Amino acid sequence: MAGNALTSSSSSRPFSPAVDARSINLGLAAIAFISPQNHPILVRAVSGSQEDLLKYHYLAHTSLDVIDERIAAASKAPIESYLGFLYALEDVAVYGYITPLKLKIVIILTLSDAVVRDADVISIFKALHWAYYRAAANPLLKLHTPLDTPNDHILVVGSPEWVSFRKRVDEVARAAGALPVDSAS
Amino acid sequence: MSTQRVLVTYSAPQSFISSDQWKQLYDALLGQLPLRNIHWKPQTRPSIRTIQELELQLVALDTIRDENTSQVPCSLLERPLLNIYVVICEDSDAYKATARKQIKDWQASLSHRKNQEWIIVHVVRSDARNVSTNFFQMKGNVLDKIKAEFNTDKRDRCVQLAWPLAQDNPAAWAELLSKVKDGLLSAFDTAVSQRDDEVRRSEGQQSMPGWNFCTFFILKESLAASFEGMNLFEDALRYYDELEMSFAHVLREKNLSWFGTLIIPGAKDDSLPLLSITKKPYRDLIVANTVSVFDLRIYILAKQCGLLGKIGKVADVCRKVAMFLTSFGRHLREVSVILPPYFIESWTYSSALSAIEQADFWARNVKLEGIVLNQFNACKAELLELARNQVWLLPCSGHMVADRIQLDLFGIQLGLLPSRPPFSMSSPGVPALPVDAKRESRIISNSELLKCSADQTAFYDLYTKLTNRAIDTYVKAGRRKFALRLHGSLAALDVRQDRMTSALQTYSSLPAHYAPHGWTSLESYMLSQAINVYALSGTDKDKQWINIALAYLKLCSGATSSESLTHQENSTTYITEVVDSLKVAVDKLNEPFSYPEHPALSIRLLDEIVVPAEDEDGYFLFVSVLNLLSCPLPASKICVSLSGRESEQLRFCTQVKLIEPGTSTFKLFCPSSSWGTYILDQTEVTMSNLHLKWNHRPATMKSVQASRTKRFVPTLVRILKDVRAFGVCLRQPRSVEFGPGMSSRLFWPFLLLTGPPGVTFRFQESTVDGDATSASLECATDSISIADLAEDSQISVLIPHSDASAYDTMQITMLATYNTRKDAAVNRSLLQSSRVPASLPIAVNVQDFFRGERLFSRFTISASAQNYICVSSATLESVQGDKGGLSIFDTLVQMREIVVQIEAYLEQNVEALDDYPQHDPDRSRLIAQTIRALESDSDWVAHRGITDELRVPTLDKEGAQNKILTLIGEMLTKGKLAGAKSGSWREIRIQVDVPILAAVRLRLIPTLFSANSESSDQMPPLYAGQPIPALLSIKTSFHWGKRQHASRKSYQMRFDIQEMVRDWLISGRKRGDFEAEDESTYTVAITLIALHHGELSLPKVVAHQVHGAEKVLILPRGGRSTFIVGMGEGLSVE
Repeated sequence: MAGNALTSSSSSRPFSPAVDARSINLGLAAIAFISPQNHPILVRAVSGSQEDLLKYHYLAHTSLDVIDERIAAASKAPIESYLGFLYALEDVAVYGYITPLKLKIVIILTLSDAVVRDADVISIFKALHWAYYRAAANPLLKLHTPLDTPNDHILVVGSPEWVSFRKRVDEVARAAGALPVDSAS
Repeated sequence: MSTQRVLVTYSAPQSFISSDQWKQLYDALLGQLPLRNIHWKPQTRPSIRTIQELELQLVALDTIRDENTSQVPCSLLERPLLNIYVVICEDSDAYKATARKQIKDWQASLSHRKNQEWIIVHVVRSDARNVSTNFFQMKGNVLDKIKAEFNTDKRDRCVQLAWPLAQDNPAAWAELLSKVKDGLLSAFDTAVSQRDDEVRRSEGQQSMPGWNFCTFFILKESLAASFEGMNLFEDALRYYDELEMSFAHVLREKNLSWFGTLIIPGAKDDSLPLLSITKKPYRDLIVANTVSVFDLRIYILAKQCGLLGKIGKVADVCRKVAMFLTSFGRHLREVSVILPPYFIESWTYSSALSAIEQADFWARNVKLEGIVLNQFNACKAELLELARNQVWLLPCSGHMVADRIQLDLFGIQLGLLPSRPPFSMSSPGVPALPVDAKRESRIISNSELLKCSADQTAFYDLYTKLTNRAIDTYVKAGRRKFALRLHGSLAALDVRQDRMTSALQTYSSLPAHYAPHGWTSLESYMLSQAINVYALSGTDKDKQWINIALAYLKLCSGATSSESLTHQENSTTYITEVVDSLKVAVDKLNEPFSYPEHPALSIRLLDEIVVPAEDEDGYFLFVSVLNLLSCPLPASKICVSLSGRESEQLRFCTQVKLIEPGTSTFKLFCPSSSWGTYILDQTEVTMSNLHLKWNHRPATMKSVQASRTKRFVPTLVRILKDVRAFGVCLRQPRSVEFGPGMSSRLFWPFLLLTGPPGVTFRFQESTVDGDATSASLECATDSISIADLAEDSQISVLIPHSDASAYDTMQITMLATYNTRKDAAVNRSLLQSSRVPASLPIAVNVQDFFRGERLFSRFTISASAQNYICVSSATLESVQGDKGGLSIFDTLVQMREIVVQIEAYLEQNVEALDDYPQHDPDRSRLIAQTIRALESDSDWVAHRGITDELRVPTLDKEGAQNKILTLIGEMLTKGKLAGAKSGSWREIRIQVDVPILAAVRLRLIPTLFSANSESSDQMPPLYAGQPIPALLSIKTSFHWGKRQHASRKSYQMRFDIQEMVRDWLISGRKRGDFEAEDESTYTVAITLIALHHGELSLPKVVAHQVHGAEKVLILPRGGRSTFIVGMGEGLSVE
């Protein structure tokens, strides 16, 4: 389902002819989901070695600062979901996205000289948001959790739901990693 | 191409220019500059641009050279936009003769200049002007003539300036200035649109052969420069952005035919300030088509940043630089072969630092605050960090190589330091190069870095300095999490430099920052690093280490362990190591160390009912221990504490060696014979000196929130009574009875009683009650002990206690410690509390009736508690003894509570059952069950009262015993309880005495006699309304008074007939005094009239002593009086 969302959104994406000639590989390295209360939900390295996982955890954690900064800067105007490029560190670039319910999604791209188009990144974010939404929409998730636990931490790490959520995220990552250029447009 | 000002030329007749007046005029004109608030409505663009301020450069026309010689397109401002001619001619004739010609010449010289505007300024003397506005002057003035002659189109390009009026009056300049503005804008507008067209044309030719990017660049840049000159920075920036885009586009197409190389490294390229556009002759290079991609991109960046700096977006400058350095640095790695070793690192380092300096310089002119300042700081910090990372990648001298590799491995593990060690520069797609393969001939030029590569201390210093600077800036920017990360990396460096203390301090303080939001991965990583630091430094594992290790194990336990980042492949091994060293560290501890609520272990009770151990006094409790760690945990002891109603504690313990991962079951023993319902209080796992504790009930009930699911539910444990074990029970009359001593194992009981406050036991006066047994009693001041209590025997001990009348019941806690012969070493205990009623179970009330010399007494014996009482006998005994001559009696009641009676009866009769010999342990259980059955239903009481039969309510108990119970029930029904007189009856002796009268006691016998007859048996009828004569006689007797008072002969008494106004009218002496003497009668005659018919009671007569209750009137104290006079009066307004 997530993949469908991705392709449907990408089909409407305009491409300049120059980009059309080449396939885009954004170099998606890691994906992180962070709860509204800043708890990590999932930090997943999708390409590259697992050794970098710690680094991705760090990146996800530090990106919270930048996201807060952005939200504070845009406190007066209604903030857009897509926060755009957050910061670069060493050889990666961090992009952020915040859902209306303040769930934060962070993706980490390997830095390259190529221009990263926002439209591509947004489509990945939308697919990821959709994946989370699908995974969290399960009403049985809260079956055994106490009533007064914070509402945001539904996807308990390690639970079976979490595994299925991880699968969905991986699906998105696969689609984004081999994102085909839409020659139709 | 430096920033240019807008050029404006002036010219005037030679004679005028050389005059002083011109100089004054020129200075005054300069004083009006710069131009302000210019609104430009461009033809090619939709919106109006506003130029706040524009500097003009006034030059003489003849100094301008015709520069058409150069083919290179230059800024539109290179040539003047406006030409001004100043005419000073007030005479039409003079105008015709000379001025006109001069203007024409001037105009002709301008004709070949494109895109230039002109203005003719006619300077008039203000006084002359007034004269010239002569109504009769038919020729018109000079200005009109000039206008008529030179204004070719609709625009009016001629303006008059009154002089020297304008010297003081700014308004006089208005017309001239607005004309200047108009002229400038129109010239600029035309020029821009023309140049725009050229650029567009060139852009369209991109795909054509021979198109040169540099040419295009210069062309387009000239436009940008023009906008910059006009102070339209945003527009200029847009041009540069477009240039960057198209350059990137060109690069992507690899159409680099006009670029020699990506980079031609210069000698100092790596250390030059990045944002300086003067460090190299960039423009010439571009024009000459020899510029490298490196230089060109730097040039574009520098221009962009310069413009951003001018409009105050310094944060964007830093952001852009950081982006550029990282992305272009990667690009450069593709050609690192031709670069000096570590050129890229040096370049990035120097550039980042110089960019920060430059940005700070620009920021001085801008007022930054709030979020913008934060962003600026954040971007600066990012740059600093970038520079810092470059230092890490530097070359290093020989002895440092191995060191660095090691550190780097450490660093990679950390993920804090750059993951590209200098020796395996593994940027994707670029083969790693050994250092030696690089050209050593040239070296980098940054002296700081050169020093670092030679000197390890300098290296560390620089690295630390930069990191600290970055941390500070991050903190200023409010990016706490970034700062934390850098702190972590500093700690890693400290480890390498053997500064273990500071490393440890950092590592042990960092987890607290990651814990609150559940970043367990990072937290556990920090903890594991702290553990590693201990291992590396070889310091003794102290309490802090234990804390760290326990915190680490906390994170390792359970589901989160799958997210752990350390030692992923062999996490179990690592955890085992930690656990093992924990064991060692704990062994070395001198004092106990307790740690609450560790989640790695959890202890659960398997069964809520605890059954006694079969062959000894004590209980077994089964618990399941869940170990969430992936390795076995060495432990020495598992303990579970239960807490009873009186907060007495039972401790179940067992010795263990290992707690395996997963669930394991243990059997815990408690050498106690206490029983009842207990609450699970605390569980504890001991590992030599370490005590892991779990509290199972909240400290205060208030802390429990009113939530549906988090409500505290205590775990209740029921411990069944072991009838064969040692037992103690308390009975009234405050005797302690040991029994029903089933325990064959009793050896040396030691008993301690604690009563309620205020009640003390006099242990030393305690005596053995009842039959003498083999046991001997030893009394100490605060306890008693009984030696050699035989098996299956019971001993009753009487322990007197102090007055407890303040309590209805006494709560007495009994603590008995004892050993059994079998296991003399095990100290067993029994803690039990029971309530003993302090009041008597019965009460005796006596009611006395005095009749002359006779006394009638009624004795009532009643149960004072809610118990049925059996009374065996009650006797009244006279006690001899003279107490004022009156008798004292003892009431002796033999009684017992009915339950006790039935119990005793059962004891006898069940014993009689052959199937149940005395030693059978079931016997007492059967009795207890029967009693319980009786307690459950009280119907049998009434039945028994009538028939003396005991009908036991139906017992629906478990099958095997049911039969026996039924049998008992039948037996009880048949047997008469009345026969069960034997057994122990309690005797209660209560002294009752005949009331002793303190004074003379009078009996008043008021008697009514009929009028005519002395005898009362023939009473004539009485009618309502008729007067009835009556006689009141008072007889006094001193018989029950004390003998001592008998000597006194008489008392003054007063009688009082109480009026009953609804029944009787009384006539006669209603009140009177009389002398009361022993055996005397006093008589008064009165007359009564009944007010209505019916049965009426006679009026009451009361007698009392005369001075018994007299009344006196007490007046209020009148010493002082306060009067308030005339309040509110006499107020008048004067």
